[in-house]
Amino acid sequence: MGTDSVGLDRRSFLRATVLGVGAVAAGSPLLTACGGSSSAAAGKANSTAGLKAVLPKYTPLAIGPRPELPITAGAAGSSVDPGFLSYPTDLVKTVAKTPGSGGSYTAITPLWGGIPPAGNPYYQAVNTALGAELTMKPANGNDYAQTVPTLVAGNKLPDWLQVPTWWNGNLNVGELAASRFADLTAHLSGDNISAYPNLAAIPTGGWQAGAWNNKLYGFPSFTSGGQFGTILYHRQDVLSAKGIDPASIKDADSLLALGKELTSASSNVWAFDVLWLVVQQMFNVPPTGLAVTVRDGKVISAYDTPELEAALEFAYKLARSGYVHPDGLAKNNSQAKQRFYAGHVILTSDGPGAWNASDAIEGRTADPKFVRGAVKVFGHDGSAPTVALQNSAALMSYLNKNLSDAQIKECLALADYLAAPFGSAEYTLINYGVEGVHWTRGATGPTYTTQGTKEANQQTYQFLVSSQAVLTNPGYDDVTKAKYAWTADAVQHAYKPPFWNLNVNPPARFASISTATQVNDIVEQVSFGKKTVADVKAAAANWKTAGGSQLIDWFQKNVVDVYGTGQQ
Amino acid sequence: MTSAPAPQPAPATVRPSGRAVVGPATEPVPSGATWRVKLRRDRSLLLMVAPAILLVIAFNYLPMFGTVTAFQYYDFIAGFLASPWAGLDNFRALFADPNFWQAFENTLVLSMVQILLYFPVPIALALMLNSVLSSTVRGTIQAITYLPHFFSWVIVVSLFQEMLGGAGLLNHALRLHGWAAWDVMSNPDTFKYLVTAQAVWKEAGWGIIVFLAAIAAIDPSLYESAAVDGANRWRRMWHITLPGMRGVIVLLLVLRLGNALSIGFEQFLIQRYAVGTQAAEVLDTYAYWNGIVANNYGLGAAAGLFKGVVSLVLIFSANKLAHLFGEDGLYRGQR
Repeated sequence: MGTDSVGLDRRSFLRATVLGVGAVAAGSPLLTACGGSSSAAAGKANSTAGLKAVLPKYTPLAIGPRPELPITAGAAGSSVDPGFLSYPTDLVKTVAKTPGSGGSYTAITPLWGGIPPAGNPYYQAVNTALGAELTMKPANGNDYAQTVPTLVAGNKLPDWLQVPTWWNGNLNVGELAASRFADLTAHLSGDNISAYPNLAAIPTGGWQAGAWNNKLYGFPSFTSGGQFGTILYHRQDVLSAKGIDPASIKDADSLLALGKELTSASSNVWAFDVLWLVVQQMFNVPPTGLAVTVRDGKVISAYDTPELEAALEFAYKLARSGYVHPDGLAKNNSQAKQRFYAGHVILTSDGPGAWNASDAIEGRTADPKFVRGAVKVFGHDGSAPTVALQNSAALMSYLNKNLSDAQIKECLALADYLAAPFGSAEYTLINYGVEGVHWTRGATGPTYTTQGTKEANQQTYQFLVSSQAVLTNPGYDDVTKAKYAWTADAVQHAYKPPFWNLNVNPPARFASISTATQVNDIVEQVSFGKKTVADVKAAAANWKTAGGSQLIDWFQKNVVDVYGTGQQ
Repeated sequence: MTSAPAPQPAPATVRPSGRAVVGPATEPVPSGATWRVKLRRDRSLLLMVAPAILLVIAFNYLPMFGTVTAFQYYDFIAGFLASPWAGLDNFRALFADPNFWQAFENTLVLSMVQILLYFPVPIALALMLNSVLSSTVRGTIQAITYLPHFFSWVIVVSLFQEMLGGAGLLNHALRLHGWAAWDVMSNPDTFKYLVTAQAVWKEAGWGIIVFLAAIAAIDPSLYESAAVDGANRWRRMWHITLPGMRGVIVLLLVLRLGNALSIGFEQFLIQRYAVGTQAAEVLDTYAYWNGIVANNYGLGAAAGLFKGVVSLVLIFSANKLAHLFGEDGLYRGQR
């Protein structure tokens, strides 16, 4: 499941908007374009002076390669990340001297993929360059949400820990930040960050997603100007062979009609996998990650919106239509990519991270004609589509509070190295390893050797901190161009959902109410056709009496009335 | 354990079932001997059980302190000591939750179905295997039926999905011949039979072992004299084999009833969405889902504690029942 560039699975995206503790105010827009981006939205009443005062000053780097596909601004302050079609041959060094001073640290990060052998030559090479012993201990991403509480309860937190932001609520990250993580405000706020030029080049939104209680705690990875939860993908090769134009999918009816046309169960072909995340976008459902949303300044239950009801009705109809692969309806997600590659499913829903070079390689291994395409965002009734922006950074890492000031400074220097921009010497080492050992220079850029694939082609150091997200797939420019084009269209329809980039901290007594697992569980079952909309309504009513109403009040009084909704 | 009364001298006896019950082989120690003497006498035995006792202490007794979370609003960051007390609030929330009672009902129903349909299978298999004379054939059958025991539930469920799922072998064949597909894997009404079938396929072969051992312990001379008296195969099975196995069968039945609320976890977690929670949620998945996933550890612990208490009652009752049948069951008090 989504082991690629950002490594999120579909379930993760469902929760990607769950925020955690430590109410911070947002309001200041993600600084996107390299040049003077619009600051028209700044200065609204809803941004607290507190957070604005601590956010680092964004300073784009003067060195490094220029993208062939430039940053393009979209709606609501969003933007397409820069796209690179070629890998520079002249690798610029962005960090002049060895950043570390011989300290040794352990880091735990989630990994959705094969865990590389400990102490392998790639780790050794990076540590030599860092001048410190940074021991990476990647943990299985699928049960990472259970790993972290164990580490906390057992007082075994490493020096450096990554916590994906979609688990902020489950893991109570606001409280963790206050009690277990190092406060980096003094080192990074405002101009202080200029000591770390690569960190200063990370767009402000990323830092904002890692701020708690008006203090800076987190290092963001893959900070993006236009991150979306899901994309409706199609098998472009199959559709064009049948003479079907993906642009003909422009509302709920045309989607169903296509389902009928493509499904042929007797030849093991179904039109769709489970498309619930796409259906939510089609019906403009406000994200349910926090169990509450905002209408006209009033906090309401996220399960009470007509949009959700309509979306659930359609999802149920879809699940029962016979056009969805039976294994998808049985939630056999681990085989979802194989179904798509093998042509048993023609349209599927997956995160943006699924669209990259390794996907093209895997797909073409299964079927040489494989081409992944994406359907442009559309509204269920053919009206103008809307698509909710995700937080600017989905992956956030934190330093342990027990580190001394000198150790924190060393880690900041290491972080500055790890955040080196695309195409730099440091970036190349972190992403590809050592030339001649882990990669060789091909016509299109670095190509992994067998050893490199095993050791360096996994997200380890990158999950601690990384430079701004870029679109690049050396050797697979068609993928980069298609993804850039899709995103350039989507950002035009982007909007900030309530509580966007706002780290909210409901008190511990709301722990299970704000994650609303029981209701979300029923919602998911509706998308599999196993429960009905009436079941969701009953569960939502139950949720309200079990504490949901109090949570709604709490959000109104402590978040919206004080900080606003984060959308301005 | 040292505080237990000195063991009664237990001479070897032959019970009515014909099975020999052998007491401790060591010399009886006069009552009043100090624990030091007993320790010296039993030290090799004690050493042998020590690892097992350590395991039980580490994984069964120590975690019991965690039960305290059932009475707390447990916060894993604050820990046991600093989490606020909830009194019985978690239990109130638990008993007010219809999903909990649904899970409880599912657990009981699934357990009953498994006792009725699964429990006799290994016994029947053992009896049949016992009648196979060729040891090669017997060994082969045993090896083949054992094998699935070593597969994880993920593999077993995937195999069933590949064979019987909506896109599996069976339904593909049905569709190819123009018949309607047969919904085996995602039908909530027949889910209890599906999981029992999976359990039989996976575990029945493994379950044979202990029954075969019981059969092997039966004195062959009983069969010989019965044969001389003209008893045919069926009569010998009915009057010698089955009574010889009775103790073991009752013991396992007691254990099974005592564990009626622990009918597995992964098997149900994996298939939860395939049939929906109204059929697939059991107490263990409920506790996991509502405790760990939903970050409501107190509620999860309350569900677990409730399950533990009910299981304790069940095991006492089942043991009592075993005594009524004239068997030892799990244990017997001082006679």
